[in-house]
Amino acid sequence: MILFYVLIFPGFLFCFIAGLLLAGIDRKLVARMQRRIGPPILQPMYDFFKLLGKETIVPRAASRKTFLIASTIGLASLVATALFIPIAGFSAFAGVADIIVILYLLTIPAVSLILGGAASGSPYAGVGISREMVALMSYELPLVIILLSIGKAVGNAMGGGITFSFTEICAYQMSFGPIISKWSMIPAAIAMLFVIPCEIGSRPFDIAEAETEICEGPLVEYSGTPLAVFNLNHAIKMFIMTALFTSLFLGGFSTGIFALDVLIFFVICVAITVISITLLRAVTARLKVEQVFKFYWSVVSGLAVLSLILVWLGL
Amino acid sequence: MIQHFPILAIMVLFLGAFLTVLCGKNKVLRNIVVFAAMLASSVFIAFLIKPIMIDGEVITYWLGNWSPVADYAIGICLVVDQLNLFFAILVSVAVLLAGVFSFKYMSRDDTLEKYFTLFLMLSGGVMGLVLSGDLFNMFIMVEILTFAAVALTAFRNRSEGALEAAFKYLVIGVIGSSCILIGTTILYSQFHTLNLAQLSVLLHNNLQPATILAFTLLLTGFAVKAFVVPFHPVEADANAAAPSSVSVIISCVLTKAGIYGIIRIVYFLFRSMNLAPLQFILVLIGTLSMFIGVTMALAQKDFKRLLAFHSISQVGYVMTAIGLATALGVTGGLYHAINHTLFKGLLFLCAGAVFYATGTTNLDKLGGLAKRMPQTAALFLIGAFSISGLPPFNGFVSKWLIYQATYEKAVEFGNIGYAFVTIIALVVSVMTLASFIKVSQSVFFGQLPDEFKEVRETPVPMRIPMWIMAALCVGAGLLPQYMMRYLINPAVYAVMNVGNYIGSVMGPGYAEKIAGQTVEAYSSEFALAGYWSPISWLALFAIIICAFFIVSLSGGKLSKKIHSDSPSGLDPKYDTFFSGEANEHSQVGGSDLFWGFKHNLRHYFDFMHNAHSGVISDYALWAFCFLSFMIVYLFIIV
Amino acid sequence: MSKSPWIYHINTGSCNGCDIELVSVITPRYDAERLGFKLTGTPRHADIVVVSGPITAQSKDRLVRTLAQIPDPKVVVSLGSCPRSCNVFKGSYSVEGPLDKFVHVDVSVAGCPPKPEAIIDGLALAAQIMKQKKRGQK
Repeated sequence: MILFYVLIFPGFLFCFIAGLLLAGIDRKLVARMQRRIGPPILQPMYDFFKLLGKETIVPRAASRKTFLIASTIGLASLVATALFIPIAGFSAFAGVADIIVILYLLTIPAVSLILGGAASGSPYAGVGISREMVALMSYELPLVIILLSIGKAVGNAMGGGITFSFTEICAYQMSFGPIISKWSMIPAAIAMLFVIPCEIGSRPFDIAEAETEICEGPLVEYSGTPLAVFNLNHAIKMFIMTALFTSLFLGGFSTGIFALDVLIFFVICVAITVISITLLRAVTARLKVEQVFKFYWSVVSGLAVLSLILVWLGL
Repeated sequence: MIQHFPILAIMVLFLGAFLTVLCGKNKVLRNIVVFAAMLASSVFIAFLIKPIMIDGEVITYWLGNWSPVADYAIGICLVVDQLNLFFAILVSVAVLLAGVFSFKYMSRDDTLEKYFTLFLMLSGGVMGLVLSGDLFNMFIMVEILTFAAVALTAFRNRSEGALEAAFKYLVIGVIGSSCILIGTTILYSQFHTLNLAQLSVLLHNNLQPATILAFTLLLTGFAVKAFVVPFHPVEADANAAAPSSVSVIISCVLTKAGIYGIIRIVYFLFRSMNLAPLQFILVLIGTLSMFIGVTMALAQKDFKRLLAFHSISQVGYVMTAIGLATALGVTGGLYHAINHTLFKGLLFLCAGAVFYATGTTNLDKLGGLAKRMPQTAALFLIGAFSISGLPPFNGFVSKWLIYQATYEKAVEFGNIGYAFVTIIALVVSVMTLASFIKVSQSVFFGQLPDEFKEVRETPVPMRIPMWIMAALCVGAGLLPQYMMRYLINPAVYAVMNVGNYIGSVMGPGYAEKIAGQTVEAYSSEFALAGYWSPISWLALFAIIICAFFIVSLSGGKLSKKIHSDSPSGLDPKYDTFFSGEANEHSQVGGSDLFWGFKHNLRHYFDFMHNAHSGVISDYALWAFCFLSFMIVYLFIIV
Repeated sequence: MSKSPWIYHINTGSCNGCDIELVSVITPRYDAERLGFKLTGTPRHADIVVVSGPITAQSKDRLVRTLAQIPDPKVVVSLGSCPRSCNVFKGSYSVEGPLDKFVHVDVSVAGCPPKPEAIIDGLALAAQIMKQKKRGQK
């Protein structure tokens, strides 16, 4: 049973398909917004399988073992996160990890990217990982505040003071309706919508993988299967972040049929992707790293703190 | 027999120190003596685990058999209750591993008999501090360890800045010791006794202005020893100048000794932790230490200075957690104390290994060492992930407990300020991660400079203590329930229940007799707001990783498709991509990373840069300002 | 394999005419992305390498090095008349000669500059050749 959860649903296969579909939909919609036809929706899957067929070159200056396993660690932690986040109310391993653990687990893919870049031995990668780290520092602050305010809001209502556990949040949303319907949590929801593109690394916050500036940043020396896995991580992260948003803010619906629930969940994830990732990507240019940092630590954190204070005042 | 083990644990170290002086010139004999002393001390402490931690006894040892006479404690006593033993275990593990490391590490220096003598004196002093039961004995031990640490900081007196760092440490250390001495003297003059248990009872509900002054002085003195803000710049200097095995002791053990002192003063002696403003000031100091430590660390260019600033930050975590005065808080704080000893020790040992191999700790000059020293790189990564608090290493468990503790405290008090402490703690954790990514990129990954192309892996005698510490880090992270049951929970119980301690030392019923009431025990139960089961998580992670190796193997016959260069090859295919240019050395300098972050906070960093002027009079001025502020503050709140 | 060809572009001293036409192929009017083409920032990610410009003396080393850094299976496309025959620069002291002196050219798109439709044609052919190379490798 565990293997089924790990490999099929909501583990590897489900994340694979969902993540690559989301990435494909995102690319297609960006193209449509730019008045062109764009690649087919399954394009990221073609990319993935093509890369599996290429050779992997390990540069002389690279630390070989770290270079090769960095991507797998990111993938493993993303799939583990998928197992703990309640997808349509169903969490494969409830009781093993709570919100704070998920917060840390979400930093592991970024760290795996950074390790991979560090192990490449290239100066472009060095600059890339420094930028990725600054981006990580900038979006962690609002994310932390958002999670704490959710914990307090749910804890208030469920009578425990605070709670960090996912099962309680789901139960709360089942009885009281989605968290976003509380008006004090709307600033937090908006802040989270801003956090998502930075965590995924899409414009205007894709400073870490700036193609034209630093030649793809941390991934500059990667080719073949490790590159395929890194791209897969990128796509799955889209899915994980939107799933996190959906389960935290938009949960509480249930049609009774599990497969239909999952489908609705996925459709909502697509909608969130369109709103927070695709729209921004199509219309903005890239921000510099210090602008990203300033934006997150002033505007987005301000929104999240507003929510925290409102929740604390009992509203 | 067990009764004698505490004093033996201390005396063996001092005896070892004296014997080292005698047989100093003979290298083999000296090493044997040193190793035997440290090992014997650790064994004595280990034997004490079962009766104290598991069975809940408190061992009291009166030197010279001067037991209390007519309810008056005249003699010096050593008391080992769970809290003492907890810190003693921490000390003995760190001392043993650092000592074994220094056999090979210091082999290139000379006058080693002086080094080992001082090292054993330092260890003996700390062991005495954590095991003693009366104030003046604690002061003596503090003096011993301060002077030994100062001398060891200056040990490599040919290197630049060592003597200056030692002098600064001496000045600030003496300020701290003097505060402790004056506080002790005031208390003695009031109550005519120095025994902690007796003083605790006599002070209860009996606070006069003189005793409040003594409280402030003692608290400040031990805060100096713990190197919290505003006494922290000295620790950075001292740690950077001292040999790495001594840095382990200074930053891991001496700071914990300061924390131990603070716990004893605040929780036991004055039993005043239920005063909200006192909790507030301790949490404030802790939070400031956390934040200032990590932001200063992000700006450093020197490996060991950076590690020292991180020490300050982590001690800030411990201080914050202890200042909360809830059972969950103290649990988190103590757990973090032992975790910090383990992972910071590992990190300093790695820094020592790098210094041994390359001769420098300047981040701008190092790079790419993981190719030549892979095991050291792996150990460093374990330490880095532990300190950043990534699951499943030990730092995560203790930080998780601390976050819950601060957030629950916020709820309990209805005060949003503690929620901001949680937020700051989480953000500091991410910044710690950033800082260690910077270090690993600057030291281990990236491009190897030409002058280090021939460095060799760390010698095995140095690697063994590093591996042991790494194993302990991983173990403490994976098996927190054992750590909690055998080490932490008994210690927390001891902190919360003063009565047990007093009864064992002065005889049962003493507290009731003198003070007329029984000693309250605070609740040591707590409920966690979330859950974390590391073993199941790790098993899951392992399954997932195996699954993926299978997947990647099938998706392209991995072993056939990976191509790398032959060892002496010059095929341009395996060059780093430089837009077509030939391969040249252009490692991104360690101090150039995180430019965006430093740019945005440049006003803060300018202020900090000017404030940390390096002038010892400034630091002494800070110390006195802090002292006066605390005096005024405590007089107001009590 | 032929559905996701990634392109890396090397300019070896070109007048930029071909480069502009190549970039315009990605624009909405000609939209090569619907066939899966993508411009990458590093040769390590590329399958098809598009070379434009006569190989000048200064760029020759860098071209050879970059070409070596592209993982197999790869397809080399020469864009424009310059890498095909040096065009009007043949015989100059600083021009090293047509591209097939250094590497086997799989597809050659002629023109000065070639029309975007011709470029797309050439790239699609290159994608097919890549599929054959992959099959041939197995």
